[in-house]
Amino acid sequence: MIEWSTAGPAVGAAFLASIVEVVEAFTIVLVVATLRGWKPAATGTAAALFVLTAIVVVLGPLLDQVPLNVLQLLIGVLLLLFGIGWLRKASLRAGGVIPLHDETAIFARETAELSVEVNRQKTSQDWIAGIAAFKAVLLEGLEVIFIVIAVGSGRGLLWPASLGALAACVLVLLAGIIAHRPLARVPENTLKFSVGVMLSAFGVFWTGEGLGVDWPGHDMALLVIAILFLLAGLIAARMVQQPVEEVTP
Amino acid sequence: MNILKDVMSELFSMFVADARLTAAMLAVVAVAALIIDATNLPSLYGGIFLLVGSIATLFFSVSREAARRRLSRSL
Repeated sequence: MIEWSTAGPAVGAAFLASIVEVVEAFTIVLVVATLRGWKPAATGTAAALFVLTAIVVVLGPLLDQVPLNVLQLLIGVLLLLFGIGWLRKASLRAGGVIPLHDETAIFARETAELSVEVNRQKTSQDWIAGIAAFKAVLLEGLEVIFIVIAVGSGRGLLWPASLGALAACVLVLLAGIIAHRPLARVPENTLKFSVGVMLSAFGVFWTGEGLGVDWPGHDMALLVIAILFLLAGLIAARMVQQPVEEVTP
Repeated sequence: MNILKDVMSELFSMFVADARLTAAMLAVVAVAALIIDATNLPSLYGGIFLLVGSIATLFFSVSREAARRRLSRSL
């Protein structure tokens, strides 16, 4: 029986994190499709999905061999590092210290870079474009796989977390097909902030469990930890907020 | 080989986006483990240290990065 107090955040984290990653991969695939057509874009994407599936099929069963407390500690520490990194970046963006992620600007930059690369390699233009799509899907997909494994494996929630990630992929693809342009209106930093909060909370919770901490309220402690990380992220963003310069007439 | 290098670099940057932040977080985990394993304190104290230490590290890392960027802009 699935405990929804744990499954809800796990599925939510997998869903939201996957939206962020799939939007980034979609932008590159769209660059390839715009420059060289859908054939190299689809081929590169399919090849990357094949490699990602192979990684899951090969490495997935190995997880069952690792003792639960070791798995929780290892995954917890990695989640904590990953989640705090996202939360730090999202807080810096929310505070205006670093610029917000701009999918339209990335699309323009990647298009220019890939055009130069493709024009340099006259003989194998589709190959170069296909490799670009392959790399984008593979690199972003690896992050999705890590997040799904990390939030799902500690409590046997791999399937619900995978379904959350799959739902995100389908949603982004549908939105992308309909819009047929970079998904610039996705609130990337808000999503990244939320995912950073959830992954950091899972990281502290799993690491603690792996070390032998008996959290009061058990799985409900996850919610309290997440609220504290949310407040911390908001305060950190507020703390470093750049003062708005007044324009004098 | 180039793709493999990019994959390894991506995996590394997933967990080590900022070397000081990573080192500080690992130190927090190590101290929490010490509190739980090497003292007679209840294990929850280690958990509380882990949580408070992580949040303090976040504050420190965000304010340090903001100060660094402000300084490089003013130069």
